[in-house]
Amino acid sequence: MEDYAFWEASLNRFLSKDFLSGLMFIGFGLVALYFGQKLALGTTVRMGPGYVPRMLALIMMSLGGLICVIALVAGAEPVEKPKWKPITLVTIGIICFALLFERAGLLPALIVLILIASLAGEEFKLKEVLGNMVVLAVVCTLVFKVGLGMNITILRGVW
Amino acid sequence: MELFDNLSLGFSVAFSFQNLMYALLGCMLGTLIGVLPGIGPVATIAMLLPITFHLPPVASLIMLAGIYYGASYGGSTTSILVNLPGEAASVVTCLDGYQMARKGRAGAALSISAVGSFFAGTVGTIIIVMFAEPLTRMAQKFGPADYCALMALGLVAAVVLASGSVLKAIAMVFLGLLFGLVGTDVNTGAQRFTFDIPELSDGIDFAPIAMGLFGIAEIVVNLERHLTRTGTIKVGSLWPTREETRRSIPAILRGTMLGAALGVLPGGGPTLGAFSAYTLEKKLSKNPGEFGKGAVEGVAAPEAANNAAAQTSFIPMLTLGIPSNAVMALMVGAMIIQGIQPGPEVMTKKPDLFWGMIASMWIGNAMLVVINLPMIGMWVKLLTVPYRFLAPAILLFCCIGAYSLQNSTFHVMQVACFGVLGYIFSRLGCEGAPFLLGLVLGPQMEEYFRRAMLLSRGDAMVFLERPISLGLLITTALLLILMALPSIKKARKEAFQEEG
Repeated sequence: MEDYAFWEASLNRFLSKDFLSGLMFIGFGLVALYFGQKLALGTTVRMGPGYVPRMLALIMMSLGGLICVIALVAGAEPVEKPKWKPITLVTIGIICFALLFERAGLLPALIVLILIASLAGEEFKLKEVLGNMVVLAVVCTLVFKVGLGMNITILRGVW
Repeated sequence: MELFDNLSLGFSVAFSFQNLMYALLGCMLGTLIGVLPGIGPVATIAMLLPITFHLPPVASLIMLAGIYYGASYGGSTTSILVNLPGEAASVVTCLDGYQMARKGRAGAALSISAVGSFFAGTVGTIIIVMFAEPLTRMAQKFGPADYCALMALGLVAAVVLASGSVLKAIAMVFLGLLFGLVGTDVNTGAQRFTFDIPELSDGIDFAPIAMGLFGIAEIVVNLERHLTRTGTIKVGSLWPTREETRRSIPAILRGTMLGAALGVLPGGGPTLGAFSAYTLEKKLSKNPGEFGKGAVEGVAAPEAANNAAAQTSFIPMLTLGIPSNAVMALMVGAMIIQGIQPGPEVMTKKPDLFWGMIASMWIGNAMLVVINLPMIGMWVKLLTVPYRFLAPAILLFCCIGAYSLQNSTFHVMQVACFGVLGYIFSRLGCEGAPFLLGLVLGPQMEEYFRRAMLLSRGDAMVFLERPISLGLLITTALLLILMALPSIKKARKEAFQEEG
């Protein structure tokens, strides 16, 4: 049992906001270095396209490292347990909208987005969601298609 | 007399029917979104960016400025009535404003805040007019090395005055600078970090980043907190009592002065102004025990300071091209989208835009008093709409807005990606503002850096040899050293305590 508590304590140490953000900066730095390796460095007089990105990435990674070390030594605020539902559903909703908007039209994209986004909330009442869809569909059509004259399809093949 | 010529030019531009309509529309939309609980000016401007995208430059900036003020006013309304601040600056308003509302004095709190804000806005506008020319003339003497140093100072100052870890904020600036480099390199034409996606060759578009990072992430965080409102909202009489008026006038004056001064600082702005004004009033008051229990000064001073600072923070952005906070970074982004590079040339090359925008700031402030006080009933109705209806609707408008930027669903996808990134930032306690500042300054800073090095034949000493650049870099270094001192560290932590 003691072992377990020890592991949990050390795990928490690594799951602090600061340590994880330090890792994030190092990660982004590595990505920049990896994808920037083909860019010419140039000289300090005539810098190539790769000079500044590499410089920035290296500084950012050292900052990230420093943040990690300080977080481990001095301890830091633990990261809150994320709630997966809102962020996942909202992201899926937007992606579905993007995929459907040109292929199928505003109406199907709207229905899918509102349905998924409403599921992300605390309460879900089908009647309310349907009402929200109808209102928003009418408003969007009137404002964007009729009012602003945007070149958008409401329903592919129909309008 | 040049001042009056400039102002009359400004008012002639701002008073054209078209620009008046855009100012009004901006104020209305800003209030409409800003009044929604949990949504502050940054998120509001980010989400409404696409609307201004296709307008002529003057109109789009006038509208954006209107959106900004509208969102700030709307935020005060929400803070006073339902105790749900949308931004750090209105956290202070909640302290006493909501207590006043609970005592049935919501109407008085609202009108004092509106009138105080209007007065502060007027003073702020006058200050901009007075300082714009001398500052611009000074900035015209700057060489590439000086500019680079100035931007470094601006970025560091913004970081120092932000809340939270300094190291993390600096790292966020670098991350923003890196994201700003995506696209075609101006000097060599090389493709950097574009992953062969043609849409990325002009750089990542600013609007989807802002919308995702601030708009979407904010909605998601609000969905997690599931905002609940307590009780019914009663506004009551809008007229303050004689006692309330007597106490709030000096508070408004002090708040305006303090806010106007703090707003000009790089890294300053509404939040700093509001917090300092509140602290000052508490110190000056004969009975500080009243604060937090509905003291009228606690609403009047921060609200005035907030608006004065909001105005004067335009000064470094308009004259030097250096944004001092996230809202100004958004304005810079919007100007670049419109093909205007913010900096000292704006005033000399586009005087109609420069002075028109300043004049319209004052007009916008006047409009907001009218929009807010007599129409308060309408905004209160809006506050009663549950979040489960609003969140999907806001998401939908964001998606359509992102699509409308260039009629491409690629932008909608970007919004989704940056929404996730913004969520990660907020979970890890990394602030979005330094990132945004780095992002808008990145391309320019690289350009100036490379030009300075080219002119000095690769000698980095150029930054220390030019007096202006040296002075700016010394200031930057001093700021950083100050931040590392334990006593300052502690004071800074305490200053931001009330925010949490």
